[in-house]
Order: sequence, then C-alpha cells, then structure tokens
Amino acid sequence: MSDVGYVVAGWSITAGVLAGYWLWLRRRTRHAERFDRDA
Amino acid sequence: MTLLKPAVGRALGWAALAALVVLALFGLWGAPPDDVQGDAQRLMYLHVPAAWIAYLAFGVTAFSSALWLWPRTRAAVWDRIAGSSAELGVLFTALTLMLGSLWGRPVWGVWWAWDARLVTTAVLLFLYLGYLALRKVPAAPEARAKRCAIAALIAFVDVPLVHFSVSWWRTLHQEATVFDPELKANIHGVMAFTLWWGVLAFTLVYVYLLDRRYRLESLEEDLEQRELEQAIAERVAGAGTPGRGSRKEEVPVG
Repeated sequence: MSDVGYVVAGWSITAGVLAGYWLWLRRRTRHAERFDRDA
Repeated sequence: MTLLKPAVGRALGWAALAALVVLALFGLWGAPPDDVQGDAQRLMYLHVPAAWIAYLAFGVTAFSSALWLWPRTRAAVWDRIAGSSAELGVLFTALTLMLGSLWGRPVWGVWWAWDARLVTTAVLLFLYLGYLALRKVPAAPEARAKRCAIAALIAFVDVPLVHFSVSWWRTLHQEATVFDPELKANIHGVMAFTLWWGVLAFTLVYVYLLDRRYRLESLEEDLEQRELEQAIAERVAGAGTPGRGSRKEEVPVG
C-alpha cells in the first residue's frame, strides 16, 4: 500500500470511529429518554 | 442533567464538526508533505491530537476522582464525569494506537514494535478498560464510586510514564515534535498551524462528547435507581401477601 493509502485509511477510520461513537451515544440516550418518559 | 446548557452543547457540536472539516482540508491538502516522511506524516495531524486528548480525558478522570474522594467536595457529579471522561480516554487511546500503527508501517516498516512508548500506551488502554469494567460491577453507588475513584488515581500513574517514555528510555518512537525537553518547537508554518488546529478540533469534540456522555450516564443512573426502588417495593408488597413467597407458605405441611 502507498503512503496515501495509509493516510486515507487512518483518516477514514478516525472519522468512522468518532461518527460511530456519536451515533451510539445518541441512540442510547434516546432509548433512555423514552424509558424515562414512560416510567 | 447536562454539563452545558442545551443550546451551548448544540453550538459546540456544530463548532466541533466545522473544526474537523477545516482540519481535514489542511491535514490532507493545505499542509505540505514532510521532506523525510512524505505524505505518511499527514497522520500526525490526527495521531498527536488524539494522544493529547487521551491525556486530557484521563487527567479529568483523575481530577474528578480526587474531588469525589475529598469529603468536602464529594458529589455524584464527579463520579459521573470521571466515568464519562474515562470512556472517551479509552476511545482516543485506541485511536492513538491505531493511527500510530498505520503511521509506523510505512515509516518504520512494522505495524507494532515492543517499544517503551507503544507498550506504556497499550498498558494505559488496558488499565482504563479495567476501570470501565470495574464501573460495571454491581455495588451500592457509594462503594462503586469509591473503588473506581481509587482505581482511576492508580491508573493515572501510567500517563506521565507514557509521556516521558521517549526521553527516559531509548525508543523507536520519535521525541516530542511540538516541544522537546528544552521546550523548543520543532515544527513551523502551515504544519504547526494544522497540528494546533487539530488539537483545538479534538478538544471541541472531547468537550461535546463528554457533555453527551454525562447526560447518558445521568439518565441511566436515574433509571437504575428507579428500577431498584420498584423492585424493592414489589418485594415488600409480595412479602406481605400470603401465597407469594412468604416464609409461612414455604414450610411443608404434613
């Protein structure tokens, strides 16, 4: 793999990890809020 | 149940996203390739900020844990901040290791080396994974917070070991880029700007995610407490009703 390949992989994985964590947080928060309202 | 006002939190989220876009523009196109490492050095604009944010996150965890342990400042808020920040620290440490590995392959020729910086960073990751596991062990809130606060302070001892490992031992990892031991900057111009911008962007991301994670932690703790109270109420009501598990019913007759 060329240097550019490593760079693209690194930036893509970072973007994916941050976006994935944010989505996971949002989903769990909405789930908890729903339970909170129903309780 | 958030650290920031909702409007401030939302504005911070957009500011963090905009800062990341600008970082990508400078990191991938604006900054020139390195004379020695070529384009592979562009991973530095993520790797170094991720490592700094990991230090910051674990620093916040240690500081909040100390505030929880100090009787005058003891409050549930510090335990929640400590747990939320530790999770983010683990996330950014894992990113640091992954990015370092991707950077090491073209520059060093290996994905991993048993080098002091790499090993102490991996130990840091596992220490705080253990801390997060400890937070999941069922216990009374006070007992859990106390044991986690002590564990966080012990784990934090590894942070200075990670940082100074490149000065204290002979390592494959390069020494500090921004400030060497004489506090002299070894990076200039657009490259320095991009690196500092990366630190700013990741700091915004960290503060935004900490606020979001704190809200989730608060909501889940409240739900857990409510479920516990409900279970106790049902148990008490059940104990008072004949035929539903009372001691009298369990005695065999005949």
